[in-house]
Amino acid sequence: MSPELQMYLAQGIHGLAYGMLLFLVASGLTLIFGMMGILNIAHASFFMLSAYLCVTVLNATGSYWLSLFLAPLGVALLGVLVERFMLRRAQASGLGHIAELLLTLGIALVMAEAIKLTWGTEGLQVMAPRSLAGLVNIGGLEYPIYRLFIIGLSLVVLAVLSLVLYRTRLGTIVRAAVSDPDMVSVLGVNTRRVFMLVFGLGTWMAGVAGVAAAPILTVFPGLADQMGMDAFVVVVVGGFGSLFGALVAALFLGELNAYGIQFIPKLSPVLMFAFMALVLAFKPTGLFGDRE
Amino acid sequence: MKRHLLWLMAALAVLIVFPFIFGPLQTNLMVRFAIEALFAVSLNLLLSFTGLLSFGHALYFGVGAYGAALILTHLEGIPLVLAVLLSGLAAALVGLLLSPLLVRVRATAFTMLTLAFGQLLYVLCSKFREVTGGEDGIMGWTTPPLRLPGVFSLDVTQPLYIYFFALGLSGLGILAMWYFTKTPMGSVMISIRDNQKRVDYLGYQVVLTKAVIFCLSGFFAGLAGAIYAVFNNLVSVGGVLHIMVSFQPLMAILVGGIGTFFGPILGSGLLLMLEEATQAYPELAQMISGLIFIAVVLFLPGGAISFGARLRGWWQKRAYLRKAREIAA
Repeated sequence: MSPELQMYLAQGIHGLAYGMLLFLVASGLTLIFGMMGILNIAHASFFMLSAYLCVTVLNATGSYWLSLFLAPLGVALLGVLVERFMLRRAQASGLGHIAELLLTLGIALVMAEAIKLTWGTEGLQVMAPRSLAGLVNIGGLEYPIYRLFIIGLSLVVLAVLSLVLYRTRLGTIVRAAVSDPDMVSVLGVNTRRVFMLVFGLGTWMAGVAGVAAAPILTVFPGLADQMGMDAFVVVVVGGFGSLFGALVAALFLGELNAYGIQFIPKLSPVLMFAFMALVLAFKPTGLFGDRE
Repeated sequence: MKRHLLWLMAALAVLIVFPFIFGPLQTNLMVRFAIEALFAVSLNLLLSFTGLLSFGHALYFGVGAYGAALILTHLEGIPLVLAVLLSGLAAALVGLLLSPLLVRVRATAFTMLTLAFGQLLYVLCSKFREVTGGEDGIMGWTTPPLRLPGVFSLDVTQPLYIYFFALGLSGLGILAMWYFTKTPMGSVMISIRDNQKRVDYLGYQVVLTKAVIFCLSGFFAGLAGAIYAVFNNLVSVGGVLHIMVSFQPLMAILVGGIGTFFGPILGSGLLLMLEEATQAYPELAQMISGLIFIAVVLFLPGGAISFGARLRGWWQKRAYLRKAREIAA
């Protein structure tokens, strides 16, 4: 393989890994939006909190796998509490979706500051577990195993999520509540509890992404802004509430990012926004969505 | 009506004598208040009167501020008022250019799109250092005096004159927006907030009205930005385009009271007082902003302006209960 081709391939897999990571974050976001009509501005903050929790658990126990289990769980618990004690109240305030956006914005700001106060402002490094640390040879290209692991992990989460959504009774209820929450509620389902569960599930997925991202991105207080913007663009471009749309948009954006940095580094942050504006100009509901 | 006029005259009198009684420190604080209030009211035109939440209003503020800085740096001898008005017009033009996209989206998609445009300009301005000076910004231009040939020539770098310049412009701007809400087009705007589909069916121009509102709101936000530039003699991406600049007027509206015209002005004043009280801890500013967002949404969604009504309601309820108990006993 020529060195040039190797570089293109490496950038391509880089983009794929980032895209899958982005999908993990964005799918939780789009799930919550589709179900409850809430765009959770604090979603990426949960992602960041999980990365920091991963650092703490790792320092305390030394086990990456334990932190992959514990950190998302802790984040999901916080998510459930936020839904139960704050979002419900905001929904009753009579300000409509504006209240939810402003409330979650407030939560995002507070979480960012609380993280700075707890862990400091310096970037923290997380080492990948030894079993995933090395390089693997793909047709002459030396590639880090860990990034391939991220792709695999995202695929597993995606598979489990689709199985639950499309093959279980709970999934049926969730999908029904996405299209018409009032009707489902009338049929005797406790939709409030389902909402709480979905919110917890969405933040859990952000948490998994946070732990997965910790070894490849530096854990620093700007992590949420960086990931959050990208995830919002994915949700908007893919179509609010559409999981498939989120997958397509995340992969496309991952590649756009990877090759954009390669060829036009000065303008690469702009590409994403330009793409979003372009999509909204022709299809305001996003590529695969049917609601605004 | 007469009582209102009396109050207005009294307020005006207080504002006129204010800089002569207090020192330059308080006077400068009032200038910041005037800028913030004008900015918040311009955003409120979108939020409370059109029902659109924008996370990128710093875009217009920034265009106005950079516009003023660039005009005053590169065009020597231009009258100050003209420079400031041109900066506002530049911001209105940006609103006009973006409106074909912005009118198409509503609700959350609108919020995300405005966020994207705001961040877009932030990134562009930080990268293109040749024009904007990047992180360092533009500073050190000589501000021309505010002049009416043959009548007066005032040096607006003096606290006293910048005070009248800022308060005058801001007051006129707020008055113009208040007047706009009372015009027929203002009524269409409010109807769009309440039910866009029905307004469309009734044959009103939804798209055109929205485009006018974006331009108007952009113009006054740009005007606020231009006054900011003249006041600070420094414009930088962090100061005028950062995302927190978009959140500041949002907070003022929320604290003052969403859905009211004058709430944001009250909110701006309250926030400025809070900022002064906590200025010893700048690292906590973001935390405080976050807590304000949470607390107001959860506990006082009507804002400070609703506080009096709430207190009165609570007091009346108590009085009724006492009376009921007396009757029962």
